[in-house]
Amino acid sequence: MPKVQATKPSRRDVVRLAAATAAVGPSVAFPDRTLANQRTLKIAKWAHFLPDYDEWFASVLAEEWGRQHDTKVVVDHIPVESIHAVAAAEVAAGSGHDVFMFPWPPAEFQRHVIDHAEIYQTVAFKFGNLDRFAHRSTFDPRAKKYFAFADSWIPAPLHYFEDHWREVGMPLGPVHYGSLRSGGQRIREAFGVPCGLALAPSLESNITLHTLLYAFRSHVVDAAGNVTIGKTALTVEALKYVKALYEDAGTPDQLAWGPSGNVRAMLARKTSSTINAISLLRMAEKGEPEVASKIRLSPPLLGHAGVFAFPHVTNCSVVWNFAQNREGAKQFLADLIDNSRTAYEKSAGCNFPIYQKTVPNLIAWLEDDPRADPPYKYKALKDALYWTRNLGFPGYANPVGMEVFNSFVIPRMFISVVTGKSSPEDAVQAAEAEVTRIADRWKQV
Amino acid sequence: MKIARRYSLLALSMLALLVMASSGAFAQLTTTGTLPSQNFNHPPCDFTDAFYTANGINVAQLNTPGAGRFGFFRRFGPPASGSQVNWVNDPTCNTDDPTRKNVRILATTGGYVDDGTGAPTDFISIIAFVLSQNFFTGVANARNIQMVDIVSHFEAYAAPKQRLADGKFALTPCGTMGTGAKPCFPVTSVATPTLRQDWRFATNRNAIDGSDGNAPLATPPSNSPFGYFCDDMLGMWIVTYFWFTVNPENPGPVCGPIFANLRRKNGTSLDGTPIIKTADELNNQLEANGCGAEGQEDVGGADGGAVWIICPAIMDPRNGAIARDAFLDTVRKPANNTPLDPAFNANFNCLQTKGQFPQPDGTCVADTSGL
Repeated sequence: MPKVQATKPSRRDVVRLAAATAAVGPSVAFPDRTLANQRTLKIAKWAHFLPDYDEWFASVLAEEWGRQHDTKVVVDHIPVESIHAVAAAEVAAGSGHDVFMFPWPPAEFQRHVIDHAEIYQTVAFKFGNLDRFAHRSTFDPRAKKYFAFADSWIPAPLHYFEDHWREVGMPLGPVHYGSLRSGGQRIREAFGVPCGLALAPSLESNITLHTLLYAFRSHVVDAAGNVTIGKTALTVEALKYVKALYEDAGTPDQLAWGPSGNVRAMLARKTSSTINAISLLRMAEKGEPEVASKIRLSPPLLGHAGVFAFPHVTNCSVVWNFAQNREGAKQFLADLIDNSRTAYEKSAGCNFPIYQKTVPNLIAWLEDDPRADPPYKYKALKDALYWTRNLGFPGYANPVGMEVFNSFVIPRMFISVVTGKSSPEDAVQAAEAEVTRIADRWKQV
Repeated sequence: MKIARRYSLLALSMLALLVMASSGAFAQLTTTGTLPSQNFNHPPCDFTDAFYTANGINVAQLNTPGAGRFGFFRRFGPPASGSQVNWVNDPTCNTDDPTRKNVRILATTGGYVDDGTGAPTDFISIIAFVLSQNFFTGVANARNIQMVDIVSHFEAYAAPKQRLADGKFALTPCGTMGTGAKPCFPVTSVATPTLRQDWRFATNRNAIDGSDGNAPLATPPSNSPFGYFCDDMLGMWIVTYFWFTVNPENPGPVCGPIFANLRRKNGTSLDGTPIIKTADELNNQLEANGCGAEGQEDVGGADGGAVWIICPAIMDPRNGAIARDAFLDTVRKPANNTPLDPAFNANFNCLQTKGQFPQPDGTCVADTSGL
């Protein structure tokens, strides 16, 4: 955000201001008329997992920006689970907010947004080019257009209770998927505490199960856009693994959790581990410090494809091509990067900056976090950018992949196997048919 | 005049030869058979206790019989045979490199390089077996990264024998990696006699020259965040066991042609299964078609075998790194004790005698370029 000028006005300035005030007297004298002329910027934003961040975003950041740009900024916080539906409704109506902030790449809406290259270019003057992760999350290589603007992202490490895992000989966490199952099984047997990966359709399960699927070296679509989920036996392997994990170490609660159900279970110490944004740990540090002191973070579990995870959140904003205040929206998003450092702080370290120059001491903070017990706990995230891949990997974020994501094809596929409604082979076949239908529909567009 | 010059040249040459011989320049080194100027690579040695500690390894655990650390255990016996020893005390180790202990490793295990070629050019020293997380202190290294996090990026692919003593072919490993079906094959040892084929090592993960197709200089670098030779200071690996999930005698219509093709290309393992040399063969040909699987042992030690191994790869096996008294440890055919893959021997022999890999025609030639 541009700094507020704090220079002392000269005598000449005061005279000039007085003259100007006299000239435009009526608008100053009639606040209502001023308001009528004032522009409005309407922002829809996914509701952050930490409400304090949204409070700062709306009442400090947006308000200050509005004051500096003579704009009334309206921020609507929308629950994550409603984001897609609200966005779709705005597109259908051809009206709504000027800026729409998604927690994932909104590739499905790329025909209804401006090309955001201009915003990236504006930012590049100050902070350099965007990185590979942001590029692949927001660029459409076919149209050669940026369908969104990414300013931050949230990694998704494994969270585990050190005391439970120490009891089964794994004080440093399970490290790989095999030990998640075998160690989780022993913890459940010994303490009655199950492993708590999110399974029921939600953002958490979508990220967890996409990560797991890809760690098993299966892809929904390949880099060229071909549907590949049914082309490898490793999809069946992943399904068998999750079924075994559920049976050996899980809980029926996993099938009933709503949004953030895995987080609440960890905070209540009802589960031994989960995959999530570090907002989980931040909530514990704030409300349950004793619980927080037992939680440890580790990089993603090693799978067939290596150490690998999708981001819990890719903060992607779009300016609709029907936006009323398009220029203001573009300016707001470009100015957002000036505040990356504060956003990182206000999000309690959740929102990692896309432009790393904005938070140059990120690593130092991760190594010595004043809120963490022990303070070095977050250093497991030092290399998060290396082990995080964009949604859409191995290609770019794309409409097919994101429609699959938003219609929960992957969690539904896993749940049908876990609950015994389908065999792994049948579940893959059904998911492949669904993805193919989605892909065929997008070919018509 | 010409004759006198010829005689004087001869005398000078003889004098030079005498000087060179007396100075020990004629392959008189204790460990190698090549010229001293070419022996700039030191043979492999164990690390000092202080270096293990600095890298987050519990030395007390390492010095237990189960871990079998060279210098304390396994002086005789597999991979060495007869009076051959696996390691010797050598006072030059610590002088050459202060992070090394004066225990020089002679047992040199061969493995396929993981760069897609499957070339038999990796040579490592299996110093110790890491059986559980108790071997890690949890203390981060100088870069404030835990060794357990670094080592997950470096996989050594072990191929335990699936054919049991009674001749049956087991389709699943015993322990946590398996399906629980019987019979199962044991995974409590990765000693060479328990393997059906030689190892594969991912030394090239995040190779600095980009040879693994990554982009180490991109922003951010793609692929592994760590480089084997620059971050994995102890040369550790997580052991990834891989196996066949169908019987090679009755592989079926999907796996049969794949097996046949791989056998033609790579040869046959001691189990009768094809030899697997590359990631593509394992991931895209076997696993993607339901013909193979892979896994790692329980990190709590429940499986009783090696979860990780401390076996630094020799960064450059040329120019003295393969000592004169070192010996090659590879899978051998039980019937006649000949190597399963003689290509390892060809490479090892040239490296040991001439300090170079073989020429394209297979001959061993020392590098006399002086460069």
